[in-house]
Amino acid sequence: MALYNFKKIMVVPTAKDFIDLTLSKTQRKTPTVVHKHYQIHRIRHFYMRKVKFTQQNYHDRLSQILTDFPKLDDVHPFYADLMNVLYDKDHYKLALGQINIAKNLIDNVAKDYVRLMKYGDSLYRCKQLKRAALGRMCTIMKRQKQSLEYLEQVRQHLSRLPTIDPNTRTLLLCGYPNVGKSSFINKVTRADVEVQPYAFTTKSLFVGHMDYKYLRWQVVDTPGILDHPLEERNTIEMQAITALAHLRSAVLYVMDVSEQCGHNLEQQLKLFENIRPLFANKPLTIVANKCDVKKITELSEENQKIFSDLVADGIPVIETSTLTEEGVMQVKTEACDRLLAHRVDTKMKGKKVHDVLNRLHLAMPAKRDEKDRPPFIPEGALTRRKAMEVDAPKRKLERDLEVELGDDYVLDLQKYWDLMNKDEKSDKIPEVWEGHNIADYIDPEIMKHLVELEKEEELKVQAGEYNSDEESEDDEMKEIRQLAKQIKEKKKLKFMQSIEKDVHGPRMPRTAKKVERKTLEKEMSDLGLEMEAKDDSHYVAQARRSRSTTRKRKREPSAPPLSRTRSQSASRPPRDASGVRDAKMLKKVKMMMKNSQKDMNRMGKKGEADRHVFDLKPKHLLAGKRKSGSTDRR
Amino acid sequence: MRIEKCYFCSGPVYPGHGMMFVRNDCKVFRFCKSKCHKNFKKKRNPRKTRWTKAFRKSAGKELTVDNSLEFEKRRSIPVKYQRELWNKTVEAMKRVEEIKQKRQAQFIVNRLKKGRELEKSEAISEVKKNIHLIRAPHAAKAKKMEEKMVQKLQEDVEMGED
Repeated sequence: MALYNFKKIMVVPTAKDFIDLTLSKTQRKTPTVVHKHYQIHRIRHFYMRKVKFTQQNYHDRLSQILTDFPKLDDVHPFYADLMNVLYDKDHYKLALGQINIAKNLIDNVAKDYVRLMKYGDSLYRCKQLKRAALGRMCTIMKRQKQSLEYLEQVRQHLSRLPTIDPNTRTLLLCGYPNVGKSSFINKVTRADVEVQPYAFTTKSLFVGHMDYKYLRWQVVDTPGILDHPLEERNTIEMQAITALAHLRSAVLYVMDVSEQCGHNLEQQLKLFENIRPLFANKPLTIVANKCDVKKITELSEENQKIFSDLVADGIPVIETSTLTEEGVMQVKTEACDRLLAHRVDTKMKGKKVHDVLNRLHLAMPAKRDEKDRPPFIPEGALTRRKAMEVDAPKRKLERDLEVELGDDYVLDLQKYWDLMNKDEKSDKIPEVWEGHNIADYIDPEIMKHLVELEKEEELKVQAGEYNSDEESEDDEMKEIRQLAKQIKEKKKLKFMQSIEKDVHGPRMPRTAKKVERKTLEKEMSDLGLEMEAKDDSHYVAQARRSRSTTRKRKREPSAPPLSRTRSQSASRPPRDASGVRDAKMLKKVKMMMKNSQKDMNRMGKKGEADRHVFDLKPKHLLAGKRKSGSTDRR
Repeated sequence: MRIEKCYFCSGPVYPGHGMMFVRNDCKVFRFCKSKCHKNFKKKRNPRKTRWTKAFRKSAGKELTVDNSLEFEKRRSIPVKYQRELWNKTVEAMKRVEEIKQKRQAQFIVNRLKKGRELEKSEAISEVKKNIHLIRAPHAAKAKKMEEKMVQKLQEDVEMGED
């Protein structure tokens, strides 16, 4: 059986639209330019192409319509019957047949004209032939106007039909108009069917879905049925009848005990008997609705007898009230259970079961000792199951609370926390202290560790680790430090002085500058030497003497010199021994002289002033390639 | 709300400060300031960058292994809130912090003790070598010598007289 999706049928255009569509397509998608002077085969080909293209388009679209629309023989008989009821099977088939004929006619037209075009000998002739062909095709389509309109309406209605799966578990509600079928489906499922006090509020089938025992159930609401013979029924009632006839479902025949629907109990019973044949092979339940107004026990004797008869027949009668919701769940569970049992029975009686049964094997483990091991079912599962059977009121949601409180509502998720002590739920938990995260320190055994740490600390303190030993310095050390500090300062000072002096240029020897007596005495007294009463010391005398040599001496006859070599040098020491205290110092002085000349002599310099740089790597000898000649002398 | 640690300098990153970088292998790097971030982008190794805590710890300049440091660590098993546990923890935290600071300070003091010894010996040698810059070495001696000579002369004179 081909699976039809009623919602995916292509739109059927009106005849006019169809023609316009196809012709404009031909114009756009085929070449448009042709001239008289072209070769005749080219002209023929041009026009033939147009004819064939138009034919192809019509053919394609019409075939699509034909395949999209469901074939009444192919669909489930429920749908076939429903469509018959709604759209009239004959009309439907006729319309589709007309379309099919149109398609064939168009094909023939195209074939003929293409054949004729082979004999066209001028552009004008070919053009006329093409015009004729297209004109005929379009006329054929124009004649299909009615069919196309009808099919479009059918398509629109079809796509809006409720998707009823004919094979799944279904509960079917039927009864007189206004007995409470739609209210029932509203209560049991999420469907929102219109409920009004006038009859025939529900004019077509409605589907709702509900869950029971972890399975999906369909609940089908039908329009009310009145009590007259089949031939006199109108479309609306026929839909209900169709549903009853074809859907393998549990039937809930709804009766109005209070007779508010406008029909008394006998009439309802009579209807029940009339349509009883349709309930063959379907688990039936009678729903005595509107029991809030009148209960069965409040009825008269004969009416009560009716119900007891039905019960005796084996049909359960359940009192409900869709207003107070009493008995609604009971009906649901009853009907569902019975339908499930019925379905299982049917399956067992069928042939396919044995395939499955052969492969099933229930393994019972053998008892190894007398210990009783019952199955463990957690409490939550039991409560859930109970809640499923009786639709328990859901717990209060946050949303309900929010709606209640309005502006005062504050979202507080802490109240759902699962803590050891309930009263701590609303505590403000500290997170940070002085740059540390408290969460990093949380440890159930923190006190133990702290105690250990304290003990360790005690031991450390006792061992004296934390004693600072700065006071072990004695006075001597302090004095030494003091002196060291002074020395450092003095050094720095000297350094700064020498930097300040910084002589750029030839340096004068130390002896060139005269040393002031004052500075010398100050320096020496700073160093701790006594500088009082030094008027007759050597350095003072020397200073006096140097002064005196600038004055001219008085010319006096002097004694002839004893030896010429010593004439001048009696009071003046030789230059290389001047300023030298003793032999040790003389030796040192000579050594210094020699040392300062060492580098000069090594470099073969003539003297201090010789700064000639010898060319040790002459370019003319070392550059270039090794040509003929030797390189032992470079 | 958590105070994170900067990946580079190991300093605290307070909420609302610093940057977070997520690499393609889903590793997250947090930085406390752009200095750390820029250094990271230059691919510098925090263990070799002298001002970071990572360097100091790896170069042994700061206390690394100690029981007081074991208190603060991220645990993978969360503990449900209990008021008294939290209270105790806050108290314990304060005490642990005290002890930790003491121990860290002591560690550094111990490390720097050698320096003090060196300082001492340096001072001594300085004084020994360069005392002449502030004091004439034999100043007192010279005076004594002088006095002695004067005395001797006097004695000679006296002897001569006698």
